[in-house]
Amino acid sequence: MASIQAERLVKRYNPGAPPAVTGIDFEIADGEFVAILGPSGCGKSSTMRMIAGLETITEGTIRFDGKLVNEVRARERKVAMSFESYALYPTISVYENIAFPLRCRGESSVEIDRQVRQIAETMELAPLLGRRTKELSSGQAQRVGLARALIRRPTVFLLDEPISHLDTRQRYRMRQFIKSIHRDFRTTMIYVTHDQEEAMALADRIIVMSHGDIQQIGTPEEIYERPVNAFVAGFVGEPPINFIDGEVLVQDGEFHFATAGQSFLLPHKVQATPGRMRLAVRPAWLSLGSEADHHLRATHFVTERLQDHNILVVDVGRTRVTLLTDPTVVPQDGQNLYLRLDPDRILLYPPDRSQVAADDDDS
Amino acid sequence: MIELKNVTRRFGLTTLAIKGLDLTVQDREFLVLYGPAGAGKSTTLKMIAGIVRPTSGDILRDGVSLLGVPPERRDMAMCFENYALYSHLSVFENLAFPLRARGVADREIQAKVTKIAETLGIPHLLERRPGFLSGGQRQRVALGRAIIRPASTYLLDEPIGHLDAKLRHRMRAELKGMARDLASTIVLTTTSSREALALGDRIAVLDQGVLQQLGTPEEIYHRPVNEFVASFVGEPPMSFLDATAEREGGQTALRLRSGHRLPVGPGWAAPLRDPTCRLGVRAAELSIADTADDRHAVPVTVDQVELLGHVRVVRLSLGQELVAVVVPPERQLAPGQPLWLAIDPARLHVFQDGRAVSHPAMPTVH
Repeated sequence: MASIQAERLVKRYNPGAPPAVTGIDFEIADGEFVAILGPSGCGKSSTMRMIAGLETITEGTIRFDGKLVNEVRARERKVAMSFESYALYPTISVYENIAFPLRCRGESSVEIDRQVRQIAETMELAPLLGRRTKELSSGQAQRVGLARALIRRPTVFLLDEPISHLDTRQRYRMRQFIKSIHRDFRTTMIYVTHDQEEAMALADRIIVMSHGDIQQIGTPEEIYERPVNAFVAGFVGEPPINFIDGEVLVQDGEFHFATAGQSFLLPHKVQATPGRMRLAVRPAWLSLGSEADHHLRATHFVTERLQDHNILVVDVGRTRVTLLTDPTVVPQDGQNLYLRLDPDRILLYPPDRSQVAADDDDS
Repeated sequence: MIELKNVTRRFGLTTLAIKGLDLTVQDREFLVLYGPAGAGKSTTLKMIAGIVRPTSGDILRDGVSLLGVPPERRDMAMCFENYALYSHLSVFENLAFPLRARGVADREIQAKVTKIAETLGIPHLLERRPGFLSGGQRQRVALGRAIIRPASTYLLDEPIGHLDAKLRHRMRAELKGMARDLASTIVLTTTSSREALALGDRIAVLDQGVLQQLGTPEEIYHRPVNEFVASFVGEPPMSFLDATAEREGGQTALRLRSGHRLPVGPGWAAPLRDPTCRLGVRAAELSIADTADDRHAVPVTVDQVELLGHVRVVRLSLGQELVAVVVPPERQLAPGQPLWLAIDPARLHVFQDGRAVSHPAMPTVH
C-alpha cells in the first residue's frame, strides 16, 4: 500500500521538442482508485511510466508515502503493471504465464494451482489455460496479461488500457472484476485510459489530461456535472456533450443566448458575459418541449432506438444535437421539434477560435 | 437480396469459423452482424464480398450464385479492419480513387472528397500519406473510401469501433442517415451492443460460427431466443437468477437461490418442463427502495456502483448472486448499503437449458 505525490513533474524526450508532461502536480491517497484519462498523446502513459520507474523523471519529484522514489529502480517500487503491450512468454502455456510471478516468489504448487484457477475462472480464461499465448486472440492475450499482473497482489497497481478492446459483456465483467480486486485488496490503483466510460465507472477520482497538462482532477460526478473547460466537457460523457456556438446578448438587462436565428432567455444563475460563447449541454439534460414552451427549435435527423432509451439526433441550424428520451418517443424524419434545457445545467465556455469561422451560422 | 445457404467455412483442418449458416439479407436493409470476437462476423462479411470462399454451401444474389463472381465485379463497396489503403497515394487520392476509377469529373471529386473528409473529421489530413496516420485515422479513411461512391451493397467491418466517442456518435448518425437516404443494402459488423441496436434494421447475433438469432432490434432485445443472446444484447447486460417453481396450497411461487420466495400468478409456471429455471431480468425493469413495501420485498445489499453519466449502474448482492439495476445519477448509494428490491414476475424472461421459455409482454410504442 502506498500514497503517491507528484510535484512539478516534467517529462521531456527530446531537448528541442515540447515536453510530453509539462510540470504537473497530483496526489493519490493510499488505497485510492484514480483514473488518468485523456486522448492519445496527452501524457498519461508517460506519467504512468514515471510512476512505475520505467521512465526517468526530467524534472520534479515523485514520492511514495512521502519518500522520494526518483532514483528508486522499477522492481524495487513494488508496482505491478498491465500494459497495452503485454509481454507474454509465447512458448509457454497460459497457465504458466499466469503462474510465473508466483513461481518466482517460490509459492507451493498447490497454492499456485489454486490461485491460477481462481483467477482464470473469474476472467473466463479457464478453457485456455493449456494453450500457448501465441495462439490467443488479442483480447484473450490482454486478459492473460491482466491476470498475471493481478496475481502478484502489488502495493500499487498500474493498469494501462486493460479493457479497451473487449466486447460489451466482457467489459462489464472486467470492470466488475477490477472493482472487486480493488475492494478486496485495497491496493492503490491507477488506471490509464482514453475511454471515459471506464474511468467514470471505476475510479474514485479522475485526472483528466490533455497536451501534457492536467485539465481537471475530481470525482466522476464533479467531472461530469461541472467540467472546468470545453475540453473536459467534450471528452467526458456518452453520448458526447452538445456544443452550440452562439452569442450572449443583453436585452432589458437580461442575458439571452442567440444561435441559428433564434434566441432564448438564460436563467439568472447562469454566469454569462456578452459576446460569442459556446453553450454546452449534455444529451440527458435536454428534453422535448412544446411550441409554447421551449428554448430551441430543431429538426429531427435520425433516432437511435436502444430499446431501454432512445437517442434523438436533431439539427439546430447547422449544429447536430443529440438528446436522450424514453423509448416511446419516435419522431418522424424531418419533423420539427422543440427542445428544453434544464435551467440548472447550462454550461457556457469561451468560443473555440478554430471553430468560429466554420460554424458561423445564418444568425 | 443476398442469400447464404448452408454456408460453412473452415480454416485449416480444425478451425470451423462458420457452421451451416443460413442468412438472407434483404434489399435496402441495414443488417448488423453482432457477436463476440471469434464469432465469425468478419468471415461472413468476407464471404459476401468474395474475398473468402465458403468451404461448402452457396451464396446467391437475386437467386444467382455469386461464387464464380470475383470481388471487383460484385458491385459491393467494402471497408475491412485491415483493408489496405494505397500507401503511395495521399488521403485525398485514396478517397478519390473509387470515383476516378468510375470516370467522375474532377470538380465533383473535389466536392465529394471535401464533404466526406469533413464528415469524418479528417480535412486536415488530406495531403498526408496513410503511413503517417494513426490507426483510427486510417480506419476513417477506409470507411470514407467505401462510402464515397454509390454501390448496391456496402460491407463494413467494425468501421467505427475504434473511433473516439464524439466521432463514433457522429458516424453512427451519418450511417443511419445514409441508409435511409440511399437505396442501398448495408451489412456492418460490431462487438458493441449499443451500435447494433442503434443501427440495424435487423441484427444477426453470431457466436462461435453459429447464427443464434436473426431479428429486429425489438425482437432481439425483448424476445431473445436463448441466454447467450439475452446476456449479449442490452446494457448493462441482463442479470440471471436461478429459481425453482414451487406449489403450496394452490399458490405458485419462485424460490430463489437466496431462499427468497417470489409469489407468481396462476398459470405462470405452465410452460416450464420442470421446476428449475433461470430468470433473466433487465436492469431497467427493476426498482429499489430504502424500506420494504408490498413491491420491494427482496432484501439485497449494494455490491458496486458505477456512474455512467446519465445513469448509475448498481450491482446488488442477492445471496450469492448479483443483479444489476439502473438508477438516476442523483441517487447516492454506497457499497454494503442494505436495500429492498422489487422483482415484477410479469417482467421476467424465463430460460431452461439455455433456451427461452417465456418473455414479458412487449412494451407499446406510440
